[in-house]
Order: sequence, then C-alpha cells, then structure tokens
Amino acid sequence: MSILRQNAAQEFAEEFENLKAVDSGHIPTGWQMSPQSVVKYLMGGKLKNKFEIVPKYIGDQRLMEIAVATLTTDRALLLYGIPGTGKSWVSEHITAAITGDPTLLIQGTAGTGEEAIRYGWNYAKLLSEGPTPEALVSTPLMKAMQEGKIARVEELTRISADVQDTLITILSEKTLPVPELAMEIQAVKGFNVIATANNRDKGVNELSSALKRRFNTVILPVPNTAAEEVNIVKTRVASSLKTLELPAELPKLEEIQRVVQIFRELRNGVTEDGRTKIKSPTGTVSTAEAISVVNSGLSLAAHFGNGKLTVNDMASGLVGAIVKDPVQDAVVWKEYLETVVKPRDGWKDIYRACKELNIG
Amino acid sequence: MAVHLLGIRHHGVGSAKHVLAALEEIKPDCLLIEGPPEISEILKNVGDSQLKPPVAIMVYDSNNPKESTFYPFAEYSPEWVAAKWGNDHGIPIKALDLPAAKNFLKRRNKMADKSSEVSNELTEEPYKDPLSILAEAAGYETGEAWWDDHFEHSHGDSIEHFESVRQVMTALREEGLKSGLDQENIDREAYMRLVLTECINEMYGNIVVVCGAWHVPALVDLSVQYKNDQRILKKLPKQKVAVVTTWIPWTNGRLSMFSGYGAGIYSPGWYAHLWNQQDDGEIQWLSKVAETFRESKMDTSTAHVIETFKLARSLSIIREKHYVSLTEMNDAIKAVMCMGDDIMLQLINEKLIIGEEMGEVPDDIPKMPLQEDFEQVIKKLRLKLSAAPKQHDLDLRKEIDRSRSILFHRLEILEIPWLDRATSTNKGTFKESWTSQWAPEMMIAIIDKAFLGNTIESAAQAILIEKAKKSDKINELAGLIKQSIPAELFEELAVLLDKINELSSISSDIIDLIKAIPRLIEVTRYGDVRKSDLSVLNVIVEQLLIKVFTGLPNACYGLDEDNSQEMFEGISELHQSMRIYGNETLELAWFETLNRVMSKEGVNPIIAGCTCRLLLDAQQFDEEESDRLISYALSSNHEPTFVASWLEGFLKGSGMILIYDHRLWNLIYGWVSSLSQDIFMELLPLLRRSFAKFEFGERRQIGEKAKKGLVDQQPVLISADENFDFEKAASILPIIAKFLQVN
Repeated sequence: MSILRQNAAQEFAEEFENLKAVDSGHIPTGWQMSPQSVVKYLMGGKLKNKFEIVPKYIGDQRLMEIAVATLTTDRALLLYGIPGTGKSWVSEHITAAITGDPTLLIQGTAGTGEEAIRYGWNYAKLLSEGPTPEALVSTPLMKAMQEGKIARVEELTRISADVQDTLITILSEKTLPVPELAMEIQAVKGFNVIATANNRDKGVNELSSALKRRFNTVILPVPNTAAEEVNIVKTRVASSLKTLELPAELPKLEEIQRVVQIFRELRNGVTEDGRTKIKSPTGTVSTAEAISVVNSGLSLAAHFGNGKLTVNDMASGLVGAIVKDPVQDAVVWKEYLETVVKPRDGWKDIYRACKELNIG
Repeated sequence: MAVHLLGIRHHGVGSAKHVLAALEEIKPDCLLIEGPPEISEILKNVGDSQLKPPVAIMVYDSNNPKESTFYPFAEYSPEWVAAKWGNDHGIPIKALDLPAAKNFLKRRNKMADKSSEVSNELTEEPYKDPLSILAEAAGYETGEAWWDDHFEHSHGDSIEHFESVRQVMTALREEGLKSGLDQENIDREAYMRLVLTECINEMYGNIVVVCGAWHVPALVDLSVQYKNDQRILKKLPKQKVAVVTTWIPWTNGRLSMFSGYGAGIYSPGWYAHLWNQQDDGEIQWLSKVAETFRESKMDTSTAHVIETFKLARSLSIIREKHYVSLTEMNDAIKAVMCMGDDIMLQLINEKLIIGEEMGEVPDDIPKMPLQEDFEQVIKKLRLKLSAAPKQHDLDLRKEIDRSRSILFHRLEILEIPWLDRATSTNKGTFKESWTSQWAPEMMIAIIDKAFLGNTIESAAQAILIEKAKKSDKINELAGLIKQSIPAELFEELAVLLDKINELSSISSDIIDLIKAIPRLIEVTRYGDVRKSDLSVLNVIVEQLLIKVFTGLPNACYGLDEDNSQEMFEGISELHQSMRIYGNETLELAWFETLNRVMSKEGVNPIIAGCTCRLLLDAQQFDEEESDRLISYALSSNHEPTFVASWLEGFLKGSGMILIYDHRLWNLIYGWVSSLSQDIFMELLPLLRRSFAKFEFGERRQIGEKAKKGLVDQQPVLISADENFDFEKAASILPIIAKFLQVN
C-alpha cells in the first residue's frame, strides 16, 4: 500500500544525503548536518555538487536563520503567526533536517492532558505490579529527551494553561522528574522543542510569561508580495500533484496568479492597485487556503473534467474557502464579486463561474 | 618625503580605529583631511573639551546664510579622530577638497540653468556606492555590508589595511566603475591634488591624507595629472564669495541623514557604542537594551540578556561572520526579548541605535551675532537645548518665567519651531505651557535669520515690521499686535498702530474692522498681567469702534446670504468682546448701533434676528417692546422665508430661550401654526438648519413643550414644600450675588 503523504524525512531523503555529503560546517552534537546546511535545505538552492535543493520556505531567509540558530542554543523555538503561514510546515522540515525524524509530535488540543506531554501509566500494569519503569507510558517528548531529538508541539496555545506549564521544567532544566519511581529522565544533547501557535483563533490560552521566557519567538508573516505568494502556491501545487497522482496538467501560472490575487485582496482589504476598499471575510484567507483551492480545482479537473484546470473547477473551491460564515462572508464575497471581479478585464470567466454557484 | 593615503569610510568606526593606529605609527608632520580648505582654521577646535560631538561644521555664504553645507562629525568619525590627534600633537592640519565658495558658485550656476528645480540645501544627491557592484559579486546585500565585513572589522596591521584599501579602490576605478558623483569628483580631485602638491612644496616630509577611500587612487600620482588639473581648475567659477565657517551642535538623528560628506549612517548610536567599547561590547549593548526595555515597563531579565547574546552569536556563526553585527543583535533581540514582534524594536532603534545625543559647542567659537544672542539668552534663562521633548509650565508672575515666555513668544514670531504651545492643565491667565524639542536645523534657521538683526528681540521686531508693511488688512495687523504684546516688542508697536490708523482711515471694510477689534480687545486684557503700557491701544480700539458704530448699519445693507452669515458671526464675536471690554459708554453706543441695524430696512433678516437677540439678552428692551419687536418680526405679512432666516439669527444656536421664555414660545408657536401645510414644507429645511444646531437635550425639551401647545403666560409658582425654610434659603443669596457681581 502506498502512503498518502510521506513525511519530510522520507520525501527529501535524497536531498539530505547530498547535503550531508557536501557539508563542511561544524555539526552540533545530535544533529545530522551543520546549521548552515539546515538553512540551505529550507531555503533551497544549488549545492557544490550541482545537486538542486527545492526551497521549502519561500520568504525571508533571516527568519529561518533565527529559527535554526535558536535550536543551536538551548532555547526552544516558538513559531507564531496566523493560520496557514506555514508554521507546521517549517517545524516539520527543520526537525527533519536536524534530526532526520519529524515524527515526535504532540498535537495540542483543549483536551491535551499532562500525561500526553510528560508520561502516562499503563494502568493494568500499575495495578498489578505497582509503579515500575515498565508501567510507564512514554510520550513523544520523553522519547525526544531520551534520544536527543527534537519534539514538536503543534498548537501550543490550544493546550490549557496548567498543562502548558509542565513544559517549563523540561525546557529550563532539561529534565523530566518521575517522582513515583524516584528517578528523572535527563535529556540527551540534541534535545529541543519546536512549538507552533497561532494568534488568530479565539479561545486560545496565552502562554504564561515564565513559559514565554523559555522560547525564542519567530513570527512567520503572510507573504510580502504577490510574486512570492504565487511562487509558494505553484511549488506546493506541483508537489501535491505528484503525491496525489492526479492525472491533471500543471495549472497555468496565470490561474494561480488570479487565485492569489483574490486571496491577497480579500486578506488586505484593498485591491492590489490600492484604489478600492474591500471588506475582509471572517475567516483567514491564507496562502494555505489558496493552495488547497488550486489543489481541489485540479482534482475536479482530473476526475470530472479534461485534466486541464478551468475556472469552473476552481470556483467552488474558491467560494468554499472564502465563505466560511454563510451570512456575513456571503455578503463580503458577493460585494467583491460585483465591485471588483466583474469590471476587471479578462475576469469575466471567473465572475460567471462564481455567479453560477449562486452563493448568497 | 612620504605621503600616506588613508582611505576611509566616513563615520566608519573601524576606519577610525585604523586611522588612529596608523597615525601613531607614521607620526606625520602634516595632516590633510577631506573637506573644503575654508574649514582648515576651524578644525583647530577639534579636541577642545567643550566641543562635544556630534557637531557639524557649517559652511555658509555670509551674504546668504541659506547657501550652506554641513560637515557632521561624530566622536568616531575618522576625520574627527585624525584632527584630534593632529591637534594633540601640534601639527598643522589642512582641509583638502574643492573650496566651498566654488561649490556654491557651481550650484548657483546649475540652479540658474534649471531654475525650475529647487533642491534642498541640506541633502545633496545620495551617494551611489560603486562598492555595491563588488558586494553583489561577493554575495553581500549592500556595499556597506561588504565594506563592513572586509575593512571595518579587520584587526590587522593598520598600514597594511590602508594599502589594501588603496589596491581595492584602484582596481575598482581601473574597471571604470561609475560613482554617482563622478562629474563632481573631477573638479574635487583636481583641487585635492592641488592642495597636496602645495603641501609637498612647503617641504613637509611626512604627510598623512585622510580621505574617502574612493579618492585614494586619484591622489597617488600627482605629476602626471598636473597639466590637466590646471586646465580643470581654470574653468571653475571665480567670483568672490564671503564664506564663513562655524561649529554647530548636531544630533545623532541628523547624523543618520545624508549631508556634506555624502554618506549618512543608519545607526549612530550603535557606532558610538562600538567606538567606546573595547571588550564585551555585545553584552554591554544588550544590557543597555534591557535597561531601555525596563524603563518602558517591559519585564526583561538578565536571563533574557544571556539568551539573546547566545542567539546572536549562533546567528553570526550561521551567517558565517566573524563578528556580531547589528543585524544579528536585532534579530536576536526580536526573537528573545520581543516575542518576535517588530514594534518593540522600534523603541530600541529610536533610543539606542540612532540615539538622542546632541553635541555641544564652546562659547568662544565665532558665531553669527544673532546665534550668540540666542545662546546667551537661553543660558541666562537657564534653558537647555535638548533633543528630547520637555514641558515648560510657566508662571507669569515669576520674573524668570515671564522672561522665558517673552523669549518663547519672540521665537514664535521668528518662526523657530523649537517650542509648541501645550494646553495648560492650569487655567488662568498667569499660566502658560510650552513643550520644547530641539533639532539642529533650528540653529540653521536662526543663522538663516541673522540678517534680520543682531538680537532675538531686534530680529523679531524686524519680522513684525516687515509683515506690517506688507499687510493691508487691519485684522492681520491686529494679529501682529496680539503677537507682539506677549513678546514685549513695544518699539514697533507704534509702527503697527500708525499703520492701523492709516488703514482704518481709508478702509471701508467693516468686516475687517469687526474681526480686528476682538483681537485688540483681547490684547488690552493681556496687558494687565504683563505690566505693559497699553493706553495707546485703548485709544486705537476706541477709534476703531467709533468707525464701526457709524459704518455698521450701512455695511449691513443689502448683503447676500454668505456675506450676511459672515457679518452675523462678526457681530456676535464683537458683541462678546464688548461685554468683556467693560467700557460703559462704548457699550451703550454699541447697543445703540445694534438698534439701528435692527430697525434698518434692507438688512438681511439673519442679521436683524441676531441683533434683536443680542439686545434682548443684554436687557435693552422692556417686556412690552420685546414683545412688539418679536411679533413684528413674526407677523404673517412677512415672507415666511424672511421669518425663518430671522429665527435662525435670533436663535443663534441656542434653544434655551424657547424653553424658558413662555412669551416668546407662544409667539413662535402661534407663527408656526399659522403656516399652511405647503409653506411649512417649504420652510422646513430652513427651520431645520437653525434647530439642528441645538443640543440634543434642548431639542427634546422643545419637542415635549411643543406637544403641550401654547403655554399659560403666567409663570407657574412652584408650590413649596411645607418644610421649606425660606429664611435659610435666603441666607445664601448674598454670596451668590457676590459671585455674579450684582447688587
């Protein structure tokens, strides 16, 4: 059976081989390559042996440098930003590049308990044998400490505040006490934590300042320019086309540009030429959404169309991504459609396709 | 004979360190520094303990101080460091570059060529860095970054350092790379060679030249260029220009801008830190940052400092630099101390990276008389020129505060924007609040005004007289008088008053007069606080009033809507002032005038209504008469639009009178109910215009009253509570009477 989506370490194994082969920098303990190579892996480019590295993060190299440099110190890294700016994506790739194992992952939710972060107990064993090391159920974090790897915590701010704070000792003293067994698990060199958190959602638990202090924060911004964003969408769509094995052609750059433009305009609340003010929808309209719109359009085209991406294939995805609230967003979208899309030269097809869907 | 060429970057800390080391090693007997020869003399002041950088040499044409160039220096500017060394060792220092006089002339010719374009005197063309080409090739973002990496942070032997600078620059120039200033450089470098040759001819044996790195290759071979140079120099304009040089205080903020030396720097505060700190510079910088954050109430612990330092180090390793630059510092501070947020970094940028330092200049440096006077005055008044904003709360009853206030008002007349009026928290005429914030360009503005007079007082006076001469409006003159009284500029008062007199005798513009008088009346009231003699002014006011009294009724005749509106506002304002002025005879005459305006035919109803109301409020009518006047105005024979405008003037934005004066209410109520539906609809917009200006509460009360219809004319006696103690209530009446000043 084939895997739906390979993790970064599997997908880019060849890149890692090549990067390691030409690496000349100092390699910190527990890392598989030098920090410079990690940055190279993230930003892409040609290696000395002519091997081409695909860019993973399209944006400011300085941010990636800060992120990687943080992990060379003993501070943990917090990637912060609105949904869809590539926090988890960056976290996965940094981890894969540094340790080769991006699987030590804790998904933070409102229901994440202490036992998901520190350790749990096998209650059957606990009852029959009492507290023994065998009865201990380890967590990804504990495993990372023991093996000197990087643990990832997704959506840190969704975890309730008291549970968040269990991270404090682990991050500052690099040790996990197990009082029941009168022992502690000391982290091996190379251990660190990458957490992601978003600042848009309601009902998040702000980090306590004690915990904040254990993290270096990197805010991942929305793409600066339309060109940058088009580039991101193009790269990601091309790679998903490969993994999803869709019998569709790569979409025309022009189509991607239009989707990106719609998303940027709605996000910024103003048209690209800065002349018209637009209402923004309630949800986030990030690059990630733009990617999924193109992807779903492609699959429509592949299975129900002629394999070429047309506006009609994209329209439903587009509307679905933008209209999250059936009342408010529908108004925003309708306004945008009538005032911006309709009069725009060469956009008649999008207008008609969206109009046919009859939203609002 | 040896000539050592030290190619530097202006304001480069590394360059400065190398210059110092090279000077120690070479021990020259003559020092040449890039700059117009005019500044040679004044460079002797460098090293004077009272001349504290950042300062700048201002070079200007004494006939036209606006034509000026500035050469700013920080304590770490290589030119400054070199000059200081030279002065300490008692060797001659000369400036080598094109004379400022020639530059001014060239600029003038250029301006004449394309007179349409007025360039800002302070900022020359930005320096286009030929190094950027080299930097791009080497994978650096900017030429500055490349230079930083290779020359500013090299710790090798200084003589070798300058030799490699020369080689790099020679290679670049041989490549034929263009610098943005090429055309200018031809003249400049020819003159530089001229100065250098002269120096050699004076038989100095060991000469050091400190100049921008780009010029170094041009100064290597003097004899080859000699003939060509003569030709170039001959072409330069030759008129005489009286060039003056002086030191003026500068600020870090201005250092970061382009100016005479071309190169501006973005981080003067950081450079100063680099210059002053030898070891552990990074940690000390971070502790300054932490201190700054703490001062603005942001928790920043020592652990933060440690972590930031670690991250900055790691970053510079990842970026393959052998030192921690400001970029790494900022990135690390942002990630560790600021939660990834840029906004807080801006505070650091303002306070530390640019910095708020301001230089000082000793008193004995020759200055323009006006500038000198200014400095003496502020010293006497114990005021400081600081770049940080400061609030001054002046109590005009105190001698020193009054003098300060006078100075502030004079500077306001001179349009020196050092001070801003602040809203005083303390009400009262003896209080004044100002905020001051100094910027070096204000000194330039003062020098610029030097031709006006030798003291602040005389310069301010000159401006007032100048303006007065140009003005042909009494209103404007009144404004000038109002400015001059708090500035205690009495000498020119006579000129202003004469001018007013003169104007008023020929002026037929009553509106102008009406607007001017309230200003003058306000000034007469000021006079009491300021102990100044204003009897003349009172005479003028009286004269002007008489003019108004005689002219007003006619001036109100046949005005159109817009002019009536203006007149209506003018009359209301003047009325207020008349009440304040408190001269009974004049007040009576004023009422009489208003009466005449009101009863004159052909006066716009809005004015008539207004005057009626003013007189009514001033209790000039008895009950019967007011009754008659109002019912006359509202009589049904008048055009309804007439009545509506009259009401607008009469109600004048306050509906209170409708609520409390039942008589008036009944009249208006009666009038409104007499209107037919059509006419009412027609008038609605007009009425709405007057009623819309009322407070919401007033409108509501009027509405409620309208529901009840006509009101019984007899004022209703409020039946008092049985326990009401009339005697006790009466006991406070005298006090209230005292407050209201009625008997």
